[in-house]
Amino acid sequence: MIANLPGWQRLTGFLRNPREALTLSRGNIELWANLLIILCALVFMLLKGATFAVTLTTVFGIWAMLSISLNLVVGYTGLLSVGHIGFFGLGAYTVAILTSTTSYENLRTGEIPTFGWPFFAALPVAALVAGLVALLVGIAFNRFRDDIYVLVSFGFAIISFNVFLNLRVLTRGAFGIHDVARPQIGSWVFDTELELMLVSLVLLAIVIGISWFIVSSSFGRVLKAIREDEQVAEVFGYHVTHYKLAVWVISAMMTGLAGGMFSSWTTFIDPNSFILLESILLVSIVILGGLATIWGSLLGALAFVLLEEGMRFLPFLPQEYVGQARQVVLGVLLVVLMVFRPQGLVGRFKL
Amino acid sequence: MSNNGSQNNYYILETLDISKHFGGVSAVDGLSISIPRRGVTSIVGPNGSGKSTLINLLSGTLPLDDGIVVIDGQRLRTIHAYETPDHSITRTFQEVRLFDQISVLDNILVVLTTRKFWSAVFERTSRQHRARAQEILEQVGMWEKKDSLAMDLSYGQRKLLEIGRAMALNVNIYLLDEPFAGLFPQMLERVKVLLKDLRDQGRTIIFVSHNMEIVREMADHLIVLDGGKLLLAGEVEDVLNQPEVISAYLGT
Amino acid sequence: MLSYFSRTERLIATLLVAIVLVYIGWRAISSPEQAMQFGFNGLSVGAIYALMAIGFTLVYSTVWFFDLYYGAAAALGAYSVFYLRSQEWLGGQYQVNTPVVNIILAMVVAGVAAWVIHTAFYGRLREKVDPTVLRIVGGAVAMAIGAYTGLVLTFPSHLHVTFGPVAAVVIGIAAMWGIKYLFDRVSGGRGLQAGLVIGVLVGWALAVSLSLVFVMSPGSKLYLSWAVSCLLAGTVGLALYRGLYVRMRQRSRSPLIMLVASLGILLALTACISIVFQSAPRPLPDPFGSVPWTIGGANIKGFNFFAIGVAIVGFLALFSVLKWTSFGRAVRAIGDDEEVARVVGINTTVIVAIVFFVGTAFAAMAGILSGHDTAIQPRMGLLLLLKGWIASVVGGIGNLYGAILGGFVLGLIEQFAIWDLAGEWKDVVAFGLLILFLSFWPQGLLPRK
Repeated sequence: MIANLPGWQRLTGFLRNPREALTLSRGNIELWANLLIILCALVFMLLKGATFAVTLTTVFGIWAMLSISLNLVVGYTGLLSVGHIGFFGLGAYTVAILTSTTSYENLRTGEIPTFGWPFFAALPVAALVAGLVALLVGIAFNRFRDDIYVLVSFGFAIISFNVFLNLRVLTRGAFGIHDVARPQIGSWVFDTELELMLVSLVLLAIVIGISWFIVSSSFGRVLKAIREDEQVAEVFGYHVTHYKLAVWVISAMMTGLAGGMFSSWTTFIDPNSFILLESILLVSIVILGGLATIWGSLLGALAFVLLEEGMRFLPFLPQEYVGQARQVVLGVLLVVLMVFRPQGLVGRFKL
Repeated sequence: MSNNGSQNNYYILETLDISKHFGGVSAVDGLSISIPRRGVTSIVGPNGSGKSTLINLLSGTLPLDDGIVVIDGQRLRTIHAYETPDHSITRTFQEVRLFDQISVLDNILVVLTTRKFWSAVFERTSRQHRARAQEILEQVGMWEKKDSLAMDLSYGQRKLLEIGRAMALNVNIYLLDEPFAGLFPQMLERVKVLLKDLRDQGRTIIFVSHNMEIVREMADHLIVLDGGKLLLAGEVEDVLNQPEVISAYLGT
Repeated sequence: MLSYFSRTERLIATLLVAIVLVYIGWRAISSPEQAMQFGFNGLSVGAIYALMAIGFTLVYSTVWFFDLYYGAAAALGAYSVFYLRSQEWLGGQYQVNTPVVNIILAMVVAGVAAWVIHTAFYGRLREKVDPTVLRIVGGAVAMAIGAYTGLVLTFPSHLHVTFGPVAAVVIGIAAMWGIKYLFDRVSGGRGLQAGLVIGVLVGWALAVSLSLVFVMSPGSKLYLSWAVSCLLAGTVGLALYRGLYVRMRQRSRSPLIMLVASLGILLALTACISIVFQSAPRPLPDPFGSVPWTIGGANIKGFNFFAIGVAIVGFLALFSVLKWTSFGRAVRAIGDDEEVARVVGINTTVIVAIVFFVGTAFAAMAGILSGHDTAIQPRMGLLLLLKGWIASVVGGIGNLYGAILGGFVLGLIEQFAIWDLAGEWKDVVAFGLLILFLSFWPQGLLPRK
């Protein structure tokens, strides 16, 4: 099983003859990227202790869900979407609105409806809402390609941000929504970090499973063919628009799932979590890890989480600049990758 | 020419007054041709005479502006590209268009798998598909290259693979746009053998070519286009002996 | 790109748009004063979009990839003005004059200067002068330019003294060459001597008087800071082009890869700006005073007139350069087919570099104007860039007339839309317009020929 993951097939050769691994070939770069990131993760866990590692794993789970579902669209279907943060936000807001019980009469935004649903009832609804919106958006976007697609997906991200910010009757605008419910089965409330990590990892496993099921099927192969040449795929009898729409909706639903998890984990959301910049960061994670591999997205998400937390270690960097410094590093990494390795660390597709 | 295609079993593919304009230029202008069932038909003509446009129109790659296409008795005003396999048509492109960043094997498999939308999600590569893909790749001599990316192949190999991909789709009508262009002699022979095999299986092959030697050797019927209009059509020898063809288009 | 909609569907869309336009017209007739106000606001916002779209169109229709650095350039320009002027307005409260930034920018400028000197003079002088001497002299000049940039950046409060004379000399030389060029054209070469003499005289007179004006009046610092900011943003754009894009284009990377790389640049530069200047919005004061003029019942800031003027002048200048000079012909040739242009003997690298410089300077100017109009924040660039892109789609991708028309149309539509909707929804309106145009009229109002 492990030999199927990108890069790992070199491991046996590496163990047999270490000198072989020092040459600069595709497999070796992938292997080194794998080893380096995982090693960093291990060192980090040892240094910071288990509690912190648990929190980090939860965050990793959310980012990994996002990047895997985005990879379905960007890596496998070749549609460079910068708007997935919109679906993330939709999922988060759906869960928040459905589960939140606090009434806000005393605030000047007026009363927003509270439903008080349990988390696990709200989560599928979140995925459905994201999927429904994705269906409508996808029908409008299906005709676009390449840089025009990037532009309209930017547009979607900005429109959804504005909706979160300005549709005050539902989202309370900039005040945000408090008291999002924690996951709960019967009387078992998942409110410790460890339990939340569990939920996050289970959801991640579901997302990985669905994605793997899709990309290893004939459907996945058709998606790759569409990515390479839409017109030819059509000549061979495939309704290209249906395939693109289907994968877009599935990806959006999984993103919505991640959004629901996110809002339950933080218990407070406001529009600032769903700005365009986050979406760009998400795209850079996907590209960093590698296009058209699920493993690459996991790796990218891991590297991203480690990068942020690792930067807190740097003595010369004031704490308030960590976020920005991470952006700088990611940006520079993105440029370097595009020049030397356009498929990302362990990717199987160059844009 | 028969107006009632369904009665006529001799012609597999007919066009009635089809036209295509790009801006103010007519690439194909009121063209009516008939292509006999079985055998090899070649389309020749000078550059810009509408050969490639004709192929694009017949395969649904470009929408028809005007006219009717009769495919095996079925009269069509519009041809959608995704319907062409149902009409038993497939094609290759003038500049080779493979699925570049997937493997050679996947390039063939993608043609073999189901077109049903939902069953595609549950379908895994079956043994039959693999066997069929192997058969085709061996036919075009590329089985040992099955795992390399299509973009890493040489030009000749890409051309062969494209023909192989078309062969994988088991259809009656093959539209081949310049299948012989730019090939080394060895590859050329290989393509010829492939096409002859297809012909012997009773399929209809329509190809565009500039090379009169090959046309003479391969084709049974010949269609000469000029300026988007039909100039001449008929048996190869008859057409090639027409003096105006010899002087105007074919050189000596 | 083909429109996938049938003719009837497009007709219906056109009808709907017509109904909306008629509704706006009816609103305008029923309350003309408000309409006047919204119209002026729309035009002044549109001017900024138009500037952005012009620069964007120039670059996009030459290299055909979408360069997101443009957003960062707008922010860079605006923050550069803030940097050069902040001490004066804010009493040193937000003084961020860090040596690190100065040194980095000075190095960038020195590098670009070295490249410019190399491409402009090295080939021509190689035969006559010893290459080693040439390299040393060129390096020294480039380093001097870099050091001077550092000096200008370190003492922004003496901008009119340090930078003014240089700007004056540059303007003077440009005037000199312009007059000579005009004489050559008008008299077919016969008036060469006279043209030369008059050109030199006028040019130097202009330079001397301008530098006197600059040094004497500290108020000229504003315009000088704009010039310095445009130059800086343009230089950074040029450095990126030379250091990165040329290399990537040589490796024949696809447009999407270039786009992602420029996304990385945007990400990094935006973050750098927020590290240096903090991410909270900052004001750039209105240089024409905040007392509005009242015209036809509408309150209009003087600055808005100025912005519209800058957009129109910028458009006319760029348009005439592209239309009537050999540089313009080369740009169009590269836009049509870069390979052919290279075969014909056009130095594509240099031409595209100039295009990048000019386009980026336009973006910086748009950023500066937008900053004076509202406020600056590090993230402003991306939104401005997207608006510029929408404007160029609305006007017609790759068409310079379309860019300016699209900018004003976008500005007007945004403003008239928030008449009935609340102001927060104007971005939504802009992107709705984009999707509408891309779906039904992908070629825009004025299609590229």
